[in-house]
Amino acid sequence: MAGKTIVVTSGKGGVGKTTTVANIGTVLAKKKYSVVMIDADIGLRNLDVIMGIENRIVYNLVDIIEGKCRKQQAMIRDRKLHNLFIIPAAQTREKTAVNPDQMKKLCTELAEEFDYVLIDCPAGIEQGFRNAVAGAQTAIVVTTPEVAAIRDADRVIGLLEADLLKDIYLIINRLNHRMVKKGDMMSTEDIISLLAVPLLGVIPESEEVVISTNRGTPLVHNRGSKAGMAFQQIGARLNGEDIPLNLEQKITLMDRVKRFVWS
Amino acid sequence: MLKAIVRRFFGEKASAQVARQRMQVVLMHDRMDIAPDIMEALKNDIIAALSRYMELDRRTIRIDLEQGKNYTALISNVQIKRVYRHSMSS
Repeated sequence: MAGKTIVVTSGKGGVGKTTTVANIGTVLAKKKYSVVMIDADIGLRNLDVIMGIENRIVYNLVDIIEGKCRKQQAMIRDRKLHNLFIIPAAQTREKTAVNPDQMKKLCTELAEEFDYVLIDCPAGIEQGFRNAVAGAQTAIVVTTPEVAAIRDADRVIGLLEADLLKDIYLIINRLNHRMVKKGDMMSTEDIISLLAVPLLGVIPESEEVVISTNRGTPLVHNRGSKAGMAFQQIGARLNGEDIPLNLEQKITLMDRVKRFVWS
Repeated sequence: MLKAIVRRFFGEKASAQVARQRMQVVLMHDRMDIAPDIMEALKNDIIAALSRYMELDRRTIRIDLEQGKNYTALISNVQIKRVYRHSMSS
């Protein structure tokens, strides 16, 4: 049976696409699914360092497409999970080294072998984006609670819909609950009402994310991390498990007072 | 906390509220950034609808999107030559 192909995109750079791919891929692999993650950011690859496999790269995505190696030769097995693979991007090539038809063909072939094919999309809406999106059935749009990220996310959602990719989900990254409470950051509800796309989950802003990327080990390996928990829930929801979104927080008397002051 | 009371006293909005309102307008404007061919089709549809009720001066027809501070509006300016007594079924 054919697996699911999912692209993670955002428009704006630096909102956490690669971190999202690394963590969701790891969660799904921990659930015993076979997973391959493709870094489609040709020229600016980073999934390899986030996953901590940067020293083991021999072949890359462009080599597969140009027929310089077999698919299996370019797939790097994860350090911890034997059913998780990474296809790194080429670092010294241009985005034009690959075209959307080639990506589509590769994704279709990989979906025959794997339960999940995750594609890490480059920032921007040019050819790199076109390539990354071409082979995907589902899109996850990552945004942060900032005006620039939300605007770009809206643009990307428009482009995906124009490409008839209708299965689109939203992840809100780096939400700072303290700032939301103070009225200094847009809330989850604000962002959903602006973008009008179903929410897959919210990742709280956390120092642990930086620490885990420093080590090249996805956050979901640490137990007790709030951001890691959020990624686990997102992975499970993506897998069709019914896990309620826990948006409402306990409202204390102090919150009521503050809300009165700020409203 | 004190800052917030001062802010409220002077009628200043919380920044998240400002951001939300700005995004509502910006996103609407971005989404309304309609391709020229679709804009042309929209214009023709509006003319066709109006023409059932009135005779228009076709040379003067203008249809634009206007961006206000808190809204985006579709402004159409059409000079009417005469209004029919009964609507013309198309």
